[in-house]
Amino acid sequence: MPDFSLTPEQENLRDLARKFARTEMAPHAAECDRTSRFPEEIYRRAYELGLMNLNVPTEYGGSGLGLFDQSLIVEELAYACGGMTTSTIANCLALEPILLDGTPEQKERLLTPFCAEYHLASFALTEPSGGSDPGAMRTLAQKDGDDYLVTGEKCFISNAPNASLYTVFATIDPKLRHKGVTAFAVPRTAEGLSVGPDEEKMGHRASSTATVRFDRVRVPAADRLGPEGNGFSLAMRTLDQTRTPIGALATGIAQAALDHAARYSLKRETFGKPIAEHQAIQIKLATMAQAVQASRLLTWHSAWTIDRGQRGTFESSMAKCFASDTAFAVADQAIQIFGGYGYMREYPVEKLLRDAKLTQIYEGANEIQRTVIARELLRKYA
Amino acid sequence: MEIVVCVKPIPDPETRLRASPDGTTLDAEGVKFVLTGYDESAVEQALLLKEATPGSKVHVVSAGPAPRTEEVLRASLALGCDAATWVELPPGVGLDPVVAARALGKAVSALPHDLVLCGKQAGDDEAGVVPGALGEILGVPDFGAVVDLRWDPGAARLRFQRSAEAGSETWEAPLPCVVALQQAWNDPRTAKLPAILKSRKLPIAKVASEPPPPDGGTSRAVKFELPPPRTGAKLIEYKTPEEAAQKLVKALREEAKVFP
Repeated sequence: MPDFSLTPEQENLRDLARKFARTEMAPHAAECDRTSRFPEEIYRRAYELGLMNLNVPTEYGGSGLGLFDQSLIVEELAYACGGMTTSTIANCLALEPILLDGTPEQKERLLTPFCAEYHLASFALTEPSGGSDPGAMRTLAQKDGDDYLVTGEKCFISNAPNASLYTVFATIDPKLRHKGVTAFAVPRTAEGLSVGPDEEKMGHRASSTATVRFDRVRVPAADRLGPEGNGFSLAMRTLDQTRTPIGALATGIAQAALDHAARYSLKRETFGKPIAEHQAIQIKLATMAQAVQASRLLTWHSAWTIDRGQRGTFESSMAKCFASDTAFAVADQAIQIFGGYGYMREYPVEKLLRDAKLTQIYEGANEIQRTVIARELLRKYA
Repeated sequence: MEIVVCVKPIPDPETRLRASPDGTTLDAEGVKFVLTGYDESAVEQALLLKEATPGSKVHVVSAGPAPRTEEVLRASLALGCDAATWVELPPGVGLDPVVAARALGKAVSALPHDLVLCGKQAGDDEAGVVPGALGEILGVPDFGAVVDLRWDPGAARLRFQRSAEAGSETWEAPLPCVVALQQAWNDPRTAKLPAILKSRKLPIAKVASEPPPPDGGTSRAVKFELPPPRTGAKLIEYKTPEEAAQKLVKALREEAKVFP
């Protein structure tokens, strides 16, 4: 019999994340959003509590959680602030390629010292000329003796200004398209690596984002993740692992929007009664609640599928795509229920819309998610 | 120093409460029980003393039914307590604080105990009887409403403060004793994720409770009611602070009749 109840351990993990999110993140969310401040003290605290390197096995100093447990935590964090959550979980994305294709020696050398202290890492795949088509990658990794010389530019890189380690995707030969893509772990201190200014963003303003430039950065072959030409597959397998928490992140934003809207609807009166008693508002709230619940269940199901050892491409794409579209739609409806107040910065719901928007774009735009879903779907009929 | 800290599972302050069907107590169905306020301060104090006094151990004890009692014991282990003992009581038993103190006292007396710490009262019924009763049962002195508890190893004395009328008293006391702590004068720590995962696998010693007295103890709860819903809130709309003050004074005078 499938069981939707959480274990006591999972309740504890969720309670920890909830307490941290509501007492330590939420009080700073509006201020960081307004000023685009990167609240390093909050990220340090998340690290101290074990809420940062969630997917890294305990033998390397991480929290060693499966995707289901990660999703419970990420939803709670995102309920308080989407941007802070993006920066808190960016390590999971950046370190996943090392976990998937790193040798035991590389894992020990790269992960153990990294996880022993507060450090941030960035996943550097997207380029200015395109993020959804890694086969068209231009960043070049030229062989030079036993080393590679990496030259190129990666953009929209989360945590890049604050990271000490980058997992970088580059091609050994652009003509090889997907088959040329190769992954490397590159420390911030590498000569020729420079980080651009922090970008001004629409949402997720507590998170930092920048361009990373590589000018003949020397990377030893020992820091190549998997064989040459393995990078495209590695990037796809990485995203298979990390899409599900994005579904959870979007669910957290959507739940926050629903809670704000429902509470407000019970207080705000028009025509002599709370607007919650008007059917027009009830229909909105009911539709929002259905979508939030469906997002959570798709996310949980995706996490459960992958935790059982299956690849879960179909399930995780559905969870990420549906939950992020839901977050945007539910935040939009929450603003509508708040009316003019909802459009004001003083109230919390317009931030949710801006934060929700990114979840439809990053870690695979929803157009790509739908392409993936359709491909997986049609495979079943071919 | 062998430190024993006694904790009680309390309904999560965010839970919506209901009366039980017979109307004598809280309906525990679906209610989440947590470690709160006074007990968090007591656990924090125990851990601070342990950290300041090498070779110390903290043993956490709770008396109550499953699963709530196990949960607060595991929460205490996750915070850093070394061992846990659970006196399992059937639901509803131990509502009388003297019965609860007897159950705790039996478990504590079987453990090495230089210092027994409690919250000064439970966060739910706020009876404040257990620490005194526990001192009586264990045959040791007890002190209430204590803050800033420190151990002076040279003098082999505890030193602590108590709030008194218009001031603060400083006390010292030898071990063994029972100390009941004020809430939140320290800053209770948050359990970290690895410690939470580890706490789920640690053993908890179970102690059988005495059969409860047939009459349930020295006292008996006869009725449990929630406070009546609040009414009469009024929002005053205004454009300037002067207008707000004028409207507020008018409402206080004419509607609430607070002053003539």
